[in-house]
Amino acid sequence: MADEIFYWQALNRALDELMAVDEAIFILGEDVGLYGGSYRVTEGLYAKYGEWRVRDTPISEGSFTGLGVGAALMGMRPVVEIMTVNFALLALDAIINMAAKVPFMSGGAFPMGLTVRMPGGVAKQLAAQHSQRLEHTLMNVPGLRIVVPATPQDAYWQLKQAVLSDEPVIVLEHELLYFSKGQVDETLPPPPPHRALCRRQGRDLTIIAYSKMAALAEQAAEKLVAQGIDAEVIDLRSLSPIDWHTCAESVARTHRLLIVEEDCRFAGAGAEIAATLTERCFTQLEVAPLRLGGLDIPTPYNGRLEAQTIPQVEDIVAAAKQLFN
Amino acid sequence: MDRDQALAFLHDMTLARAFEERAAQEYMQGNIAGFLHLYPGEEAVAVGVLHACEASDYIVTTYREHVHALVRGVPAEEVMAELFGKSHGCSRGMGGSMHLFDAERRFMGGYAIVGETYPVAVGIGYGIVLKDLPEAVICFFGDGAVNQGTFHESLNMAALWKLPVLFVCENNQYQIGTEIHRHSAVPEVYKRASAYRIPAERVDGMDVLKVYEATQHALQQIRAGTGPQLIECVTYRFRGHSMADPGSYRPPVEVKAFQQVDPVEMALRELSLAYPSPEQIATAGPDCLLRLREYCLDQGHLHEESIKDLEQKVQAEVEAAVQFALECPEPTMDDAWDALLCNRNGEVLT
Amino acid sequence: MKHPITMPVLSDTMETGRLVRWLKKPGDSIKKGEVIAEVESDKALMELEAFQDGFLAGPLAQENSDIPVKTVIGWIAESREEALAEAPQPETKPAPEPSKATSEAAAPVPAAEEAQLKVESQTGPGALPPASQPATFQASSPVLQAALSARPTESGGMTPLARELVQELDIDPQTLAPGADGVIRARQVLAAALSAPAPDLRYSADYEIKRPSGLREKIAENMAATTATPMFQLTARVHLTKLHDLAKQRELSLTLLMARVSAVTVQKHPLVNAVWTPKGLAWRKQVDVAIAVDTPDGLISPVLRDVAGRPLEELAEDWRILKDKTQRRRLQPSDYEGAGFYLSNLGVFPRVLWFDAIVPLGASAILAVAAADKAGRCALTISCDHRVLAGADAARFMEDLSEAIEKAQVD
Ligand SMILES: Cc1ncc(C[n+]2csc(CCOP(=O)(O)OP(=O)(O)O)c2C)c(N)n1
Ligand SMILES: [Mg+2]
Repeated sequence: MADEIFYWQALNRALDELMAVDEAIFILGEDVGLYGGSYRVTEGLYAKYGEWRVRDTPISEGSFTGLGVGAALMGMRPVVEIMTVNFALLALDAIINMAAKVPFMSGGAFPMGLTVRMPGGVAKQLAAQHSQRLEHTLMNVPGLRIVVPATPQDAYWQLKQAVLSDEPVIVLEHELLYFSKGQVDETLPPPPPHRALCRRQGRDLTIIAYSKMAALAEQAAEKLVAQGIDAEVIDLRSLSPIDWHTCAESVARTHRLLIVEEDCRFAGAGAEIAATLTERCFTQLEVAPLRLGGLDIPTPYNGRLEAQTIPQVEDIVAAAKQLFN
Repeated sequence: MDRDQALAFLHDMTLARAFEERAAQEYMQGNIAGFLHLYPGEEAVAVGVLHACEASDYIVTTYREHVHALVRGVPAEEVMAELFGKSHGCSRGMGGSMHLFDAERRFMGGYAIVGETYPVAVGIGYGIVLKDLPEAVICFFGDGAVNQGTFHESLNMAALWKLPVLFVCENNQYQIGTEIHRHSAVPEVYKRASAYRIPAERVDGMDVLKVYEATQHALQQIRAGTGPQLIECVTYRFRGHSMADPGSYRPPVEVKAFQQVDPVEMALRELSLAYPSPEQIATAGPDCLLRLREYCLDQGHLHEESIKDLEQKVQAEVEAAVQFALECPEPTMDDAWDALLCNRNGEVLT
Repeated sequence: MKHPITMPVLSDTMETGRLVRWLKKPGDSIKKGEVIAEVESDKALMELEAFQDGFLAGPLAQENSDIPVKTVIGWIAESREEALAEAPQPETKPAPEPSKATSEAAAPVPAAEEAQLKVESQTGPGALPPASQPATFQASSPVLQAALSARPTESGGMTPLARELVQELDIDPQTLAPGADGVIRARQVLAAALSAPAPDLRYSADYEIKRPSGLREKIAENMAATTATPMFQLTARVHLTKLHDLAKQRELSLTLLMARVSAVTVQKHPLVNAVWTPKGLAWRKQVDVAIAVDTPDGLISPVLRDVAGRPLEELAEDWRILKDKTQRRRLQPSDYEGAGFYLSNLGVFPRVLWFDAIVPLGASAILAVAAADKAGRCALTISCDHRVLAGADAARFMEDLSEAIEKAQVD
């Protein structure tokens, strides 16, 4: 039986195992070296692999991410850590204009083995500039892959797959998941990185969620049993591309769809999921899909208000019930 | 420095220290949450700079800005209430510790994305010139922030158009856990200004008087229309980067980490890069507050008893601020929507 | 402060209830436990009792409308003035969609309510936090409100899946009746597909559609559900005179004696008391006899329990109570469900020579008793579920039963 480890430890293990065998892999970011990373993900790696492979950078997100692009172009596998997604806004030029475009613009001449990791989501009272979710922005960029691991096992698998991929991959890690625990079995063969995972099977309703919300959706599904609702919970694991097949197959069985996301509801991942699944499963729907998402408001510092701006387990339960008349 | 001046500095610095220590306490009791970046050790910078400004000057700061707000005259109650996320906080509970604002006092805000203060200040400077007023804008930033592209972009524009901006670097020698020699090729921040022909000076940030005088001098030049100036205040923070950071990466941890890699290479680096040793840090730059107290005593401005009185008075002030914050109501969701739509002027979408 | 009155949940299967009528009007004083309205569940008509003292206040839900359970249908105010100071119009929408009800909950507090809250908060210590506002005014969470802000606004219509099924199953959409929320879903389409075709009234004389009572609707549903039962009938001629005389002599109803004789005979033929289930035959250990009663609302069959095992006097008393409850429309599911044997007596119609009845779900046999002729002979017809009883089983039972009746063996 595999041991239970923290989500951050799973990421750390993935990096360590890869770096031990592939010299093309190097890490860079603010405080990833001596300090070990703000969420401990790179702990111990500086001592083990040295400063050239674990580089503490100045606060220059645009340029050190761009550095990652340059290194990837000549065959390296840089793993950039942006301290939180909020600072990735300063690196969007490198991510969107360079990483996502150069392989294409060159007519397919270059690899882009760049991985950009970024913690994000609403944590605890970090206020408006530090509580953002950027999946909506990145999903709209062709040429990027976006993974959203919600468990230590997925974190381990998906980070490894990202680092070894020749495509640029964004790894969105939720700040409140780093200290969640789960089993990681290194011997299991990983599913394809974009494959959605059915966390709970059910007959009456499909709940699609990702990252921290997938865990909440699962809790809600357990509570729904008492209400006589048997919900299926699908954890997307990847936001680009999305495993439509798994989602559509589920909706075709349950005829009811609830999407839960922490990002703002307007023009977010949920909108894309609702639109595509309505297109694909239109004649299978018994009720209009429902999107439960974050409020379209910057995150207030005040703790009670903050909690009200994102879905909680009770909200998911109530929303699910709305789909039954 | 005359007596009144010295006593005013001493009051503000004593208040600043007491306020921050109390904030740390309240954080631990769960009354304050999120990121809390404290200022002990660096008080001489905010106090020296802001005392040299006019009320009509604009202030743009970072997330480590409680003391700047206090010195600027934002009531301690309102600052504490904001840290508590309450509705009478200076940002109505929406911003919290990192985002203090006070439009009336031209306190243009605490910005938490490193490198944001420059362009904002440059924009205000541009407006001042357009309005043709004898005002200036003070732009605070840390040593880590100078490697953000906006630093160079903004300094260039400010110099190019001779904007009335005073750039103040609070060089506490650390960017969270990264010591300045490891994040900057040129660790003397003031030297960078010369690339844009901006007059710059490095001062002892532990000496409030020196900071004050340097600021006065720079502002005189700025008001004379000669364009931007830069002051680098060398200082040190006594606590971790934020409450979440024990600060343990400093010497003890550095040493441990270094022991784990090639000792020869590390020894060489240590020699060439001059990390502060634990002993150096223990004695590094005597506490700016103690220094000022000694000065006041030396000059005969104060007796030991009056320092005790001052401390008591300041403690009472901080206590009142905490009481106010505790009793203050929580903001509502409606308050949040009002804040978001504050500039919609009641427009109803149809 | 006003307290909400909600549509009660009166049975395990109840999703909506029909508010038949209010027995009080706004401003009337009411006492805790007093009956204030009549509500019809899917099973029976029930009384709605007040759960506290006060004065009835509007807006009141409309009489004769179907309303989802737990929906607010009226209010109890603490003073007459408050009850009468009612600004909002009575709700006119019958059976509001559940989602609609929630979005109303999110709406701002009506003026009257707000004023009331202000008065409350002025009174100091008694002031209540918003959380203790009546249920419907309790705002749901902001994220839920946002999620529900874009629900389909029009009620009615058909879901895509229902539409697909309508095509697939080649069903005339005109014949579909929507569910409680006004929407036609797969469930309604499938029900229509499985039920007998609706009559084509295009060439019929003018007509007016009236919703049947809940009871009648339920009977129709139950009867339609028996079409899957393979049935046969068997008739016997029996002299009733002796039993009749005995009934007169002991001042008991003939029906009750028939029930008793039948039950005793059933006990000797336990197969008659068994019922077919998908898992196997369910053999009952006691004979419960349902007796059909004709009411203005339609047919209902209260059940006498353990008819073979208890003294006649006790049964007579039970039967009196059941008849009374039936008349006052107060029957509970436990009063009319679960019988193993049914009895239908049309003896009061002398010109009806003979009839047969339909075996209800849950039983395997029903006995139809026609009127006796001048010579005291009547036709007894038993209808049986052929999966359980064969012709000879039924014949043996009828022989024994006839003999017992003719000998009037009631004890
Ligand atoms: C663009 C950006 N990148 C990273 C961070 C995370 N961060 C917050 S403070 C900080 C260090 C800043 O150091 P410095 O400018 O010296 O200011 P100090 O905290 O020492 O006052 C970092 C990296 C951030 N807030 N914004
Ligand atoms: Mg610093």
